[in-house]
Amino acid sequence: MTFLILSQILNGLGLGMLYALVGVGLTLILGVLNIPNFAHGVLYALGAYFAYSIAKMTGSFYFAILLSPLLVVLVGFLLESQGVRRLYQAHHDYQLLFLFACALIIQEIIIIIWGPIGFSLLPPPSLSGALDLGILIYPKYRLVLICFAFFMIICLYLFLTKTNLGAILRAGIENRDMVKVLGINVNIVFLYTFGLGAYLAGLAGALSAPIMGLTPSMGLDILPICFVVVVIAGLGSIPGAIVAGILIGLSQGAATIWFPEATNVVIYLMMGLTIIFRPQGLFGVR
Amino acid sequence: MNKYTITCLIIFIFLGPFLFPNATITEMLIFGIVAISTNIMLGYTGMLSFGQALFFGTSAYISGLILLAGFPIFLAIPIATLGSFLISLFVGYFCVKREGLYFICLTFAFNQMFYFIAYVWTEVTGGEDGLVGITRPEFIDTQLSFYVFISILFLTSLYLMYKIITSPLGLIFKLIRENPSRAEAIGYNVRFFKLVSFSIASTFTGLAGSLYVLIHSMVPIDQIHWLKSGDIIFMTLFGGVGNFLGPLIGVVGYIWLSDTFSIIWARWPLIMGVIFAIIVLYFRGGVSELLENLIKKCQFYFKKNKDEKYIKN
Repeated sequence: MTFLILSQILNGLGLGMLYALVGVGLTLILGVLNIPNFAHGVLYALGAYFAYSIAKMTGSFYFAILLSPLLVVLVGFLLESQGVRRLYQAHHDYQLLFLFACALIIQEIIIIIWGPIGFSLLPPPSLSGALDLGILIYPKYRLVLICFAFFMIICLYLFLTKTNLGAILRAGIENRDMVKVLGINVNIVFLYTFGLGAYLAGLAGALSAPIMGLTPSMGLDILPICFVVVVIAGLGSIPGAIVAGILIGLSQGAATIWFPEATNVVIYLMMGLTIIFRPQGLFGVR
Repeated sequence: MNKYTITCLIIFIFLGPFLFPNATITEMLIFGIVAISTNIMLGYTGMLSFGQALFFGTSAYISGLILLAGFPIFLAIPIATLGSFLISLFVGYFCVKREGLYFICLTFAFNQMFYFIAYVWTEVTGGEDGLVGITRPEFIDTQLSFYVFISILFLTSLYLMYKIITSPLGLIFKLIRENPSRAEAIGYNVRFFKLVSFSIASTFTGLAGSLYVLIHSMVPIDQIHWLKSGDIIFMTLFGGVGNFLGPLIGVVGYIWLSDTFSIIWARWPLIMGVIFAIIVLYFRGGVSELLENLIKKCQFYFKKNKDEKYIKN
């Protein structure tokens, strides 16, 4: 039993780290740009598919993890500069509809290029196999994933708290108009924010590929989870998104032990509990 | 609504069955109810809910289950509508506390919550296969009688919604859209009226959902998936939110386009996505505004001609 519980905790932690990465990306975009990014899920899917193709072409998994999020950033830049930028003044209705349309388009392009059938991406030989931890034997890749995602979250934290651009992003979430008044070129800030969000989504997608495999609908499936992360965290809270992501992952791991059929429902149960007992979200103000 | 729009509507109701196949035209009327009711919330009150499929799907499941249990349709439709009203009160209570992006996130997440409940609860809802084996009652078994039945319900709900919009309540909704803090200052409880608007929209959506069961004699699980909510929002905005009947044009256009493209190419959502994006970027008012501008231009043109003639004489 301890074996089962421990391994599910680790599984949940891995999932949670992925959710945290995607959720932080969405939070950044929601907070700074003030748009509902419905294309976030497909950016995640694109990250996974790019990683699959790069790994297949070059034969190097590490190279794929490095390059595919950068390609997703390019897609994100394209989306922001060609479409979203024209819509900052418009209602949320139109922003939502535009990004929803982009999600549909990218989703269909994925099916056209890679086909409707799912794939699996194998981790490199150095990361495949399992590691004996004494009390349990656990797949190496998942352990590395947890460590790497944790490392990325720390990097992100340092970026947001210690660099100038990070300070501008945080200021943008607090008060966008003030940032404009201080003479900062918001267009570039918005572009970078969207890029950073896309990078995190793409990275999470690429990292998730060896665990969960690739299916064309993966983008549509992850999107509601990202939004639940945002709701639990409180709108615009980055530490909240990290905590909420890990919390959801862990609760999914726990649900796998006792109610294996309810692993998806438990996410929404967490959300329901949050809005009943703390309507502003875990880290939300007001 | 002036007499021209009423005439157009009646012509549409009578001509519809000759233009489209029976299943398509009834689907158009049913989604017409959905889109027009969504417009009460979206266009008139200014609340963007991304969870309307929740009410559509849940009500379809309730009505399907009642029909499967052998009860008559006159029991199934009111109970399903009442059910979606109660759910809308519950969901709305939590959602209207928040506005803007948070409201969108919440309604969206609630939508997926109900989707997964339907997905997991296979004994009742049939899970991924959907709820199947529902039979249409005998009196609406033929295509004609079914169409008449649906169009009577369509016109009745249209009339009711029009009454709501033109009543003082409708004015309060518009006030909340234009200036919520002023509405608060005058003494209206903004949250309460938002909840009212949310429940009205969701109840009519639920009514439409309970009718949807009858078209294909089944409830597919897509009807409660969040993609359906996106479709509903799109239909409404495609038609144009500035107009009472605008969303109906959007519904007809959307269903006609998707039916046409889905025959031609399996990847038809791509084309729909491109159309969505073009509309958002270039024709933000939707089809109805486009038509209005066209009519205005024509009027202007004819008037100019008349004036020129007048001057010549």
